[in-house]
Amino acid sequence: MSRRFDIHYVLDFIPKLLAYLNITLLIVGSSIALGLLIGLLVALPRLYNVPGLQRLSRIYVSFFRGTPILIQLFLVYYGLPEILGWLHIDVSRIAVLYFVILTYALNSGAFISEMIRAAVEAVDKGQVEAAQSIGMSGYQTFRRIILPQALGISVPLFGNLVIGNLKDTSLAFTLGVMEMTGRSQTLGTATQHFIETYIALSLIYFVISVLLERAFVWLERYLNQYAGKEQTSRQQRMAKRWQARLIPISDRGGKQG
Amino acid sequence: MIQLEGIRKSFGKQQVLGGINLTVQKGEVVVILGPSGSGKTTLLRCINYLERPDQGVIQIGNQKLEGKHPGRSEIHRLRQRTAMVFQQYNLFKHKTALENVMEGLTIVRGVPRDTAAEIGIEMLEKVGLGDRLHYYPSQLSGGQQQRVGIARALALNPEVILFDEPTSALDPELVGEVLEVIRRIAEEGITMIIVTHEMGFARDVASRVVFMDGGAIIEQGTPDDIFQRPREERTRQFLRRITPEANYSI
Ligand SMILES: Nc1ncnc2c1ncn2[C@@H]1O[C@H](COP(=O)(O)OP(=O)(O)OP(=O)(O)O)[C@@H](O)[C@H]1O
Ligand SMILES: [Mg+2]
Repeated sequence: MSRRFDIHYVLDFIPKLLAYLNITLLIVGSSIALGLLIGLLVALPRLYNVPGLQRLSRIYVSFFRGTPILIQLFLVYYGLPEILGWLHIDVSRIAVLYFVILTYALNSGAFISEMIRAAVEAVDKGQVEAAQSIGMSGYQTFRRIILPQALGISVPLFGNLVIGNLKDTSLAFTLGVMEMTGRSQTLGTATQHFIETYIALSLIYFVISVLLERAFVWLERYLNQYAGKEQTSRQQRMAKRWQARLIPISDRGGKQG
Repeated sequence: MIQLEGIRKSFGKQQVLGGINLTVQKGEVVVILGPSGSGKTTLLRCINYLERPDQGVIQIGNQKLEGKHPGRSEIHRLRQRTAMVFQQYNLFKHKTALENVMEGLTIVRGVPRDTAAEIGIEMLEKVGLGDRLHYYPSQLSGGQQQRVGIARALALNPEVILFDEPTSALDPELVGEVLEVIRRIAEEGITMIIVTHEMGFARDVASRVVFMDGGAIIEQGTPDDIFQRPREERTRQFLRRITPEANYSI
């Protein structure tokens, strides 16, 4: 069976696996980007109660949340060409990688649409009314009042989603995509040091996940500065800026008072 | 001048406003009193079309809106003539006090940022918050938040400011500072319609008191008329319930 454990193999495998990190990140990056677009489109009918589409988007979301991603991969890879075949569209020349990206995009799109819905609904309705009462249009209210706060609310959810997506990409090797996990299989077979490949692989996923987590925590703090109790750096900067520009005005305020 | 004619509004089967007629002259401070559920909030919200009346005419200045289906741009113009101060303040939580006050000026009115900032600072100084310009709502007390809400309304220089129970979400010790600010701007001759349960304040500040019950105006008059010589039994009952005896007999 496999040979004796040897730590040197771990060190040897890490750079070899890292050479395929770009494929993993390509899958994560493009499927999340596409997923954001899909998620927004799917969330809209439910946010605005569009009758027929609302139902459709609900079915879509519950399907992709309710079935394993591995099955979704198979369905898209084997099923989609079948369906497109009926329409006389030939996709047999399209690389597996694109099917994988599409699957992950559809999958994260479902979760992202739920995330968007939850975040928008979490922004309090009173602020929306206040915006309307001062004459802001629906678009202005969304863009200036709802969106900035919804973004802050959704960051932790979004972070979990991206990290989950990163880990899920390890399943792409089942369709023969050469990303990190796929490469680890071939390394393992070639050297018979499977345990070492898995250790190297988990170290890499772990470090990336931790880095992503850190980045999202930072982003969350940045976007939610207003909710803090202390004076924030943004506020101090702003105060300085206004002071510099508006000294004559506060003088005038003094005169009048 | 503001004129409401035959404003009706139902939620489902429940009629909430049963044909309200009310005229408010420029510079008047009208206080609306009435028991819970009598339709006071709904009436205020109909005036700026946050709630669409089923029927009736709303005229503010020279603009007239009718019933349920005015166009978006008409409602938009109407809202530029009004401003509202909410019970829950409803400040934009991701914006500082100054940004809250500037928002309507820069975004809706197209006032340049520098001018908007000048106006914003002036208004915040007027409500006693000149030293809190760059604080976020989360860093302000309830009373301070409500004063920002008042500054935000004032900055737009509207033809009328609508107040819906501006102090009833506040801790008792913070009520005074907010009422004081409202009293001061009332003296400047700004037209206001105020829903409140603060009877002492109502008596002080009102040029006219309107008593509502069951979606109708039961009676109206000067504060003295309503508080000393209420004609309607329902008004008397309401005042007995809400005003401590000592206060009532003054
Ligand atoms: N959006 C709504 N949907 C259904 N019913 C509503 C709605 N808004 C108000 N109502 C009902 O209309 C009636 C009048 O409500 P309104 O808020 O105008 O009363 P109010 O005089 O402001 O009372 P309060 O002093 O308690 O604030 C109440 O019975 C209330 O339940
Ligand atoms: Mg009310």
